[in-house]
Amino acid sequence: MITVHIEPDGETLQFRSLNTVLQLLNKLGLRRMEALIIRDGGLLTPDRRLHGGDAITVRTVISRG
Amino acid sequence: MKCKRCSVPAVVALPNHSTGFCAECFLLFFRRQIETGIRRRKLFTFEDRILVALSGGKDSLSLMLELHELGYDVTGLHIDLHIPGSSGPARGKVENFCAAHGLRLEVVELEREGLPMDLVKRHVTRPVCSVCGKVKRHYFNRFALKNGFTVLATGHNLDDEVARLFANTLRWDTAYLSDQGPELPAADGFVRKVKPLWRLTEFETANYAFLKGIEIHSAACPYSSGATFTSHKKLLSELEHTSPGSKFNFYERFLANGREVFAAHERTAGAEVTPCVSCGSPTSTDLCGVCRIREMLIEKSAEEAARDADRESGRDAASDTRYDATRGGNG
Repeated sequence: MITVHIEPDGETLQFRSLNTVLQLLNKLGLRRMEALIIRDGGLLTPDRRLHGGDAITVRTVISRG
Repeated sequence: MKCKRCSVPAVVALPNHSTGFCAECFLLFFRRQIETGIRRRKLFTFEDRILVALSGGKDSLSLMLELHELGYDVTGLHIDLHIPGSSGPARGKVENFCAAHGLRLEVVELEREGLPMDLVKRHVTRPVCSVCGKVKRHYFNRFALKNGFTVLATGHNLDDEVARLFANTLRWDTAYLSDQGPELPAADGFVRKVKPLWRLTEFETANYAFLKGIEIHSAACPYSSGATFTSHKKLLSELEHTSPGSKFNFYERFLANGREVFAAHERTAGAEVTPCVSCGSPTSTDLCGVCRIREMLIEKSAEEAARDADRESGRDAASDTRYDATRGGNG
């Protein structure tokens, strides 16, 4: 299971199977330049693989006022 | 993905540049984009006294830190808007950031200026975002002029500029199109305004803020829901996804080929600007927009106070009547 915390909304989601960051972005309906993907305090590019047990933070970047 | 410069694993992928960088090389890329932006548009020099508008978001704080590290003479100005649940945390982030980096900071409180944004929102009939923007621009400009700053720098990035250009173009707003760009020269009553992040996207400033460990205020303004600006950004993000680099080209080509056409039109057909009769700020009417809002608030507050007093005296009269009736009933 991969746990995904979305900022700044504060929502938390869980996914059974995700292979890459790009798949995660597609699941969330986000484009590659619309969010930072963070794991263990580091940034991930869209080609990086995800693994079961990962805790991922998705920080959307479009400012809303 | 490997870093384009040093071939170690990349942490930031930039489809708009068809490249990726490790943390160290990305920070260098970011700095070079700012330096190029300053040099190409002759935004300012190391002799300028620069006032940086600080909202607490990623763009303004990143700009402040980078200009400071480049050796520019910078002072931050934060405007406390007095929006419940939002202004306090935003101000806290700005104050902590400046204290942590040893940066000069000034704060203007809109409540003290008679323009608390929660009160403004209660009484204005048009979208509060446009009023808020007008008030902020007024105080940034006024503070800069009053305190001898030669340049006002804001954290507007490429996405902000492209979304604004798109909105201005949809309306064919010749006045706004005539002066949109990374630099606006000083004029009577106006300090020089610059946008050093004009070559960098929101994604790039977000990565910079993360890699620099900047604590940002990221919560959306509670008054901004449904703002057209955000929907334009989403639209343009789709365009950028299918055609990487199109935002930068749209903006840069406008600066090269479009702006001067609108500027020439405005020089002949634009409204004349004169000092506001109340505060002296430049305006195309007798009383500037900010003074008009302040007067409207004073009127509305007086009306509310009168209504409250009427209600209070009505309650007192009813209470007296009930008291008399009770006494009468018992007597």
